Amino acid sequence: MVGKQNLERKSPLIWEVPQSFRPDMRVPARVYADDDLLEAVLGDRSMEQLVNTATLPGIVRYALAMPDMHQGYGFPIGGVAATALPDGVISPGGVGYDINCGVRLLATGIEAEALTAHMPALMTALFENVASGVGASGGLRVNRNELAEVLEQGAAWAVGRGLGTQEDLLRTEEEGRMQSADASALSPRAMERGLDQIGTLGAGNHFLQVDRVSAVFDAEAAAAFGLREDEVVVWIHCGSRGLGHQVCTDAVRDMQAAVKKYGIQLPDRELVCAPFGSPEGQQYFKAMSAAANYAWANRQMIAHLVRETFRQALPAPLRDAELRMVYDVCHNIAKVEKHRVDGREIELCVHRKGATRAFGPHRPEVPAAYRAVGQPVLIPGNMGDGSFVLAGTEQAMEETFGSTCHGAGRVLSRAAARKRVRGEQLRAQLEREQIVVRAGSMSGLAEEAPVAYKDVEGVVRVVHEAGLARRVARTLPLGVIKG
Amino acid sequence: MPEEPFVEIEHTADLALRVHGRDLPSLFVHAAQGMFHLMRYPPNAEGSVRLTRAVALEALDLETLLVDWLDELLYLSERNAACLERFEITSLDTSSVRAIAQGASPRYPTRSIKAVTFADLAIRQVGEGYETIVTFDV
Repeated sequence: MVGKQNLERKSPLIWEVPQSFRPDMRVPARVYADDDLLEAVLGDRSMEQLVNTATLPGIVRYALAMPDMHQGYGFPIGGVAATALPDGVISPGGVGYDINCGVRLLATGIEAEALTAHMPALMTALFENVASGVGASGGLRVNRNELAEVLEQGAAWAVGRGLGTQEDLLRTEEEGRMQSADASALSPRAMERGLDQIGTLGAGNHFLQVDRVSAVFDAEAAAAFGLREDEVVVWIHCGSRGLGHQVCTDAVRDMQAAVKKYGIQLPDRELVCAPFGSPEGQQYFKAMSAAANYAWANRQMIAHLVRETFRQALPAPLRDAELRMVYDVCHNIAKVEKHRVDGREIELCVHRKGATRAFGPHRPEVPAAYRAVGQPVLIPGNMGDGSFVLAGTEQAMEETFGSTCHGAGRVLSRAAARKRVRGEQLRAQLEREQIVVRAGSMSGLAEEAPVAYKDVEGVVRVVHEAGLARRVARTLPLGVIKG
Repeated sequence: MPEEPFVEIEHTADLALRVHGRDLPSLFVHAAQGMFHLMRYPPNAEGSVRLTRAVALEALDLETLLVDWLDELLYLSERNAACLERFEITSLDTSSVRAIAQGASPRYPTRSIKAVTFADLAIRQVGEGYETIVTFDV
C-alpha cells in the first residue's frame, strides 16, 4: 500500500510518489489533491494502481491522477498517462471498457422558471423516448454495412441522416470522428453487440439530466459558450455501450499474449499493453477509434431524440426552442497528440481514463468559436449537487498533457451506498427539492446517490486553483433520468 | 466452517467477488453463480422458458480461461435475454473448459456488468481448494 509517508508535497495541490518508491517505476506518480481529497484517495487502492501505471514502457514525465481519482482496474479512474511514439505502449486498460464514455451539453435558451410546470411531463416523455437500462436495445437498428459506416464516420453518420447539424459536429471533440477508425478491426461479436444500441443511454452512472445554470463564474467564457444564468441545459452522459465493452474485452484478452511476445513485465495483468506501432497496438487503436466513433454517433442520436422530445412534449413557444450544442467531450480514450516534453514537441499516445481533455486557448483542436477562451470541459457531478462547465488552460497543456478531472469521483462502494440510502427515499428527497426523477431501478438509483460521490465542488476547486481548468459555470438539476 | 462459495468484497467504483471452490470446476461454477447474483435478476420468472447452452473455450492459461468463461456467460445472457443459474462443467484443464449452462429466458437483470477484468486475478491453491478475486466493470 502507498501511504501518506510515501508522498512528497511538491506544491499545495500536487503530491508525488518518487520514482525511487519502487524499482519498476519508470517515472514518478503525481496526484492533484487538497488534504481532504488526498485522504479519500488513500482510502482505497488507487495510489497503488497509479504507481503500477508508472511502470508502463515508454511513459513520459509522470503517471498523473486528477482529484476525482479512485480505484479502478489496471489504471485508477482519473488517471492520465502519455507514452512516446512509436515504441511507447498503448493499453486498453488505460482507456477502460466504456470507450469514449463522455458528456454532451445542450443549451436550450429557455428560462428555468418557464419550464417548471412542464417538468414532470417532459421527463416522462424523455424517459419513454430515450431507451435506458441494463442491456437496453431499442435504439436505431442498423445492418452490418451501416454499422461499419457508423464506426468510420462517427457523429457525422447521424448528421448525414438529418439527426443533427454541422454545427453539432464542429462543437464535438475530434468533430465526432477519429480518422484512425477501422471497422474491420472489430470482432464479429463486437459488431453484433452494436447493431441495436445506437441512441441508448445504458445503466450504471449514465444519465440524462435537465439542469438550470445556477451560477456563472467567468462571464467571458460563459458568453463564448452561449451559457447564461437561469438558462435550462441538457446533459447527456453515456458511451459506446456493448460494442465498446467488447472491443476492450477482446483487446485485453489478445494482448495477454502480446505482453509475453514483447517481453513486457507488468505488476497487474489488467495493464496489458503493446507497443503503439506493433500490429497488436495498431489493431486495438483502430478498433478503439471505431468504438469512440460509435459513442459519438450514440450521443448524437440521443441529442436528436432530446430535441424531438422537447418539440413533442412542450407547448408553444417552449417547443420552438433551438437546443444548441455547447460541446461534447470524451473521458475514456487514448489519443495521438503533440505535446512539449523537455522543451521538444513530440508525438504521444495520451491515455485518459476518467479524465477530460482540457486544451487551452489558441489550440487548433478547439472550435473556432471557443478558441479565445479555451476548450469547454464538461464535469458531471451528481444528481443532487449538480455539474460544472470549465474551460481548458495553457497550464494544463504544460503540466498534464492538456487534461483535467472528469467528475466527482466515487468515494463509497455500491454496497456501502445501498446501506446508507434507499432508492425510494432518495427519489422522495430529490422530489422534495423539486428535482423530477425517472429511474429504471431503485437500487441502481441508490448506488448513484450523491453521498456515494466526492464533493464535486471540492474537486473542481482543486483543478481551478491548480490551473488545470478554469471554472465557468455551475448547473443544478431540475430533472434526472437514470437507467 | 466451510468457505462461502462467493463473497462480495469492497471496491470503490466497480464490483468484486472473492470466490472459493473445493476444486477448479467448483471455482468456475461459483464464479459464474456469483456474477449472476451481482446482476440482481428480479425473482419473478413468470412466462419464461428454460434455456440450455453449451460452452467450449480454450485459453492460454487458467486465469484467462476464467475471464473467458465469465465473459462468454455474460454474452450468452445478453444475447438470449437469459438469467443463467445452473452450470455443469464436463471437462476442465488449465487451458480449456467445456460446460453446459442452463437458465431461463426472457429474464432481465437490474444491474449492468460491462465486463470481467483481469485486475488482481490470480487463482491460488488454499488449503483443500482454490480461491480467487474477480473484479467486474459496472
